[in-house]
Amino acid sequence: MTESNRAQHSDAVVTAWQFTEQVPHGRDLGMQVVSVNGNQICMSVTPQPWMFADEDTKEICTSVLYSLADSAGGLAVFAGALELMPIATLDLRMDYLRPAIGDRALLAVATCRHLTDEVAFIHCDILSEGDSELLATANATFMRNTQGQRFQAGGRKKEGA
Amino acid sequence: MSTTGDSAQPISGPTERGKECADWQALLERIPYARHLGLEIQRGDTGLVVHMPCREALIGNFMLPALHGGVLGALIELTARVAAQSQDTDKRCPRILDSHINYLRSAQARSTFASAEIVRQGRRTGLVRVTCWQGKKSKPIASGQVQLLLPSMGAKQADLHEQ
Repeated sequence: MTESNRAQHSDAVVTAWQFTEQVPHGRDLGMQVVSVNGNQICMSVTPQPWMFADEDTKEICTSVLYSLADSAGGLAVFAGALELMPIATLDLRMDYLRPAIGDRALLAVATCRHLTDEVAFIHCDILSEGDSELLATANATFMRNTQGQRFQAGGRKKEGA
Repeated sequence: MSTTGDSAQPISGPTERGKECADWQALLERIPYARHLGLEIQRGDTGLVVHMPCREALIGNFMLPALHGGVLGALIELTARVAAQSQDTDKRCPRILDSHINYLRSAQARSTFASAEIVRQGRRTGLVRVTCWQGKKSKPIASGQVQLLLPSMGAKQADLHEQ
């Protein structure tokens, strides 16, 4: 199903999609890209007992939702921009409206709200699959075209150390 | 009067810090996701520090390589939670209401540390500021503010009925 959806998209989105699914932390959490529709993307995570914030309440740790929002936000930048370039999260603000309890998949719906040459503004909603009530919302700002600035500088430093 | 009484005080300091360290470690170990990430408490020069050893599952960009932004989010949120809980006299488990994290430098694939500063701890809420660094603490890679809600005993009952 995902393969046929993927075929409808530009090369940049397909590459970003594949890249997102290869990210080690995303694989560790079992993150999957569900769909890409225009500037909106959907990703999912299936809750596991090791993701709990508390063994007694079986509530999923907010940080799992945070990771999902960050990954979904990153992919939404490429869905909005339709070109490949290195990006970096500048800031991310999460509001946790309800505890995430139960074993239904967590869905993140991220939208690229506005794009400039340098910055992308992203909004992300997190819900339980089959439920319309929001669990969390996020607003994030991503820097575009980060290559040659912070990352390469950091890499050089590392080689020298 | 005599200074001998005063000089005895610093001697009790390290023991108390040792107990605090064990307290934080115990709170952290109760969180399954913190165990999954491999978080551990260390004693720093100016207070307790949460250490996140680097491993492949924490990588967000394998080409650089760099840690995932969400992994730093987790380090900040969980450090804030343990700091707020350790300060609470009833050791109530706080609920994270919101968090706002700024990414300041690229997070390399190496050990990361976090320290917490309690901005305000009230009876119902706590606000904790967390700083993350890798090499020098003076060059933070991320900083965050986490707002936490400390449940009242009554609220805990209401939560259970709601389900």
